[in-house]
Amino acid sequence: MTMATILTENVGLDFPIYGMQRSLRRALFQSATGGFINKKDLQHRHVTVTALTGLSFQLSDGDRLALVGHNGAGKSSLLKVLAGIYYPTSGQVWVDGKITSLFELTLGIDSEDTGYETIVTAGMLHGMTQSEIESKIPEIEQFSELGEYLSLPVRTYSMGMTTRLGFSLATVFEPEILLLDEGIGAGDARFTDRASARLHELAKKSAILVLASHSDDLIRSICNKAALMNSGRLVKIGPVDEILSEYHIEKARSEPRATAG
Amino acid sequence: MTVSSPSVNGDPKIAGAKSRGHLRLLVITASEDLLDGLRRYDLWGRVGFLDIKRRYRRTTIGPFWATISLAIFTAVMSSIGVGLWKQEPAEYMPFLASGMMVWLMLSTMITEGGNMFISSQHLNRMRMDYSILAYALAWRNLVSFFHNLAVYLVIVAIFLPKLITPTILLVIPGLVLVAVNAVWVALLLGMICVRFRDVQQLIATVLQISLFVTPVFWPPHLLTGLTRLVFVDLNPLFAFINVVREPLLGKTPSLWSYLVILVVTLVGWIATFKVFSRYRKRIAFWV
Repeated sequence: MTMATILTENVGLDFPIYGMQRSLRRALFQSATGGFINKKDLQHRHVTVTALTGLSFQLSDGDRLALVGHNGAGKSSLLKVLAGIYYPTSGQVWVDGKITSLFELTLGIDSEDTGYETIVTAGMLHGMTQSEIESKIPEIEQFSELGEYLSLPVRTYSMGMTTRLGFSLATVFEPEILLLDEGIGAGDARFTDRASARLHELAKKSAILVLASHSDDLIRSICNKAALMNSGRLVKIGPVDEILSEYHIEKARSEPRATAG
Repeated sequence: MTVSSPSVNGDPKIAGAKSRGHLRLLVITASEDLLDGLRRYDLWGRVGFLDIKRRYRRTTIGPFWATISLAIFTAVMSSIGVGLWKQEPAEYMPFLASGMMVWLMLSTMITEGGNMFISSQHLNRMRMDYSILAYALAWRNLVSFFHNLAVYLVIVAIFLPKLITPTILLVIPGLVLVAVNAVWVALLLGMICVRFRDVQQLIATVLQISLFVTPVFWPPHLLTGLTRLVFVDLNPLFAFINVVREPLLGKTPSLWSYLVILVVTLVGWIATFKVFSRYRKRIAFWV
């Protein structure tokens, strides 16, 4: 297996927010979750939300990192930066290895497309040729156990079915670096046993895994490292148990007031 | 896993480089996007094809609906046009039908271009070459045009065979020019509209007016003087219509039309490349 590495240097991400009404601006100021809203920019035409600040860390082969933190702590933003979807507004991300990201339940371009169409489109979007991905279809059929459903539009699938299709796709992509968001359904009550089994298998195949999740069970069963995030900052990286207990202490402390940062 | 050492952090020698040993920077430049995207013709061909398939899923005659509505439009409008502008029906009907075919293609390309990034919520889920969307857009509109063209050619071959001459082959370079320009139009309007959401409405309004001031319904030779200069000679939409429509009517497009298109192509691509280079990174935030 090739060596996979992720190296982030002082990564920051400022989100521009467009078309804000004044009242909505005020509402944002008072919101409890989310990152910092930059006051200085309020004088200008648009507001920016600081989603990530000064993140520097390195991951290498065998690291299975869980991102923990309350909603708006920057977990999803960090994943999207690592996936190359959002470009950091400051700092840099260096990567070695093939990145596969599974963020949301729509896998191809349109959920009107059938399972088979979605498989081919998703494979091609991932850089495979049509014949390469088509040769993987039997494997996906077997792994996803979706049977006849693969001929139906993806929008008719249940959450568990979509998740299984997503994991099956990710498996044939043979990711070296796998990025998973809780949005994919992991840790959800509807997350089926079979989908969970797929996830474990997939995690075993990739050199680096980064998972954002609120499920302690899932994190403990898959990850060997955890990173606690708060208000777009990396508070601490360490062993799963240590970070999780620290997170729960912090959560208990902040919950009565429900304030961020 | 370790927190990266300071020596790696602030090394000035590697600032600005795109790779460092095995490591690569997660950046796609505008030219990489355009060239890598173009190379993935299998992908944009497929995306464009699926777009058409999706639009007509669960219909029986599919894309030919567009052809039928065009045929009805031509039949009804011809009776008015023939009376209004004292035209021969045998000349006016193919003129109107071919003109509307090209107009539909151009206006759909422009409208969809403005909507291209707005409607692409999947941009926020994966890393991809954005130009693929523009190539797919140009491709699927050409395919739709070919549906209409096939029906047009059959009807003309039966009723007006004299219009089919070797000149008709000039339709091919005409369509190539349309496609080349559709890509920059889609990228540029796509970026502008996703950032400034009012522009989409503005485009719809401008297009609506353009249909009437561009010689689609009426023959260009009816205008003279300044109005002709503005609405015919300097009208880029007319130039594009001309280089596709004239061959379909058995005529050679004027050199002037090709000249106008050459200028539009150069200026459009240079402007688009500059805007795309500068703002490509921001598109994911705008969607």
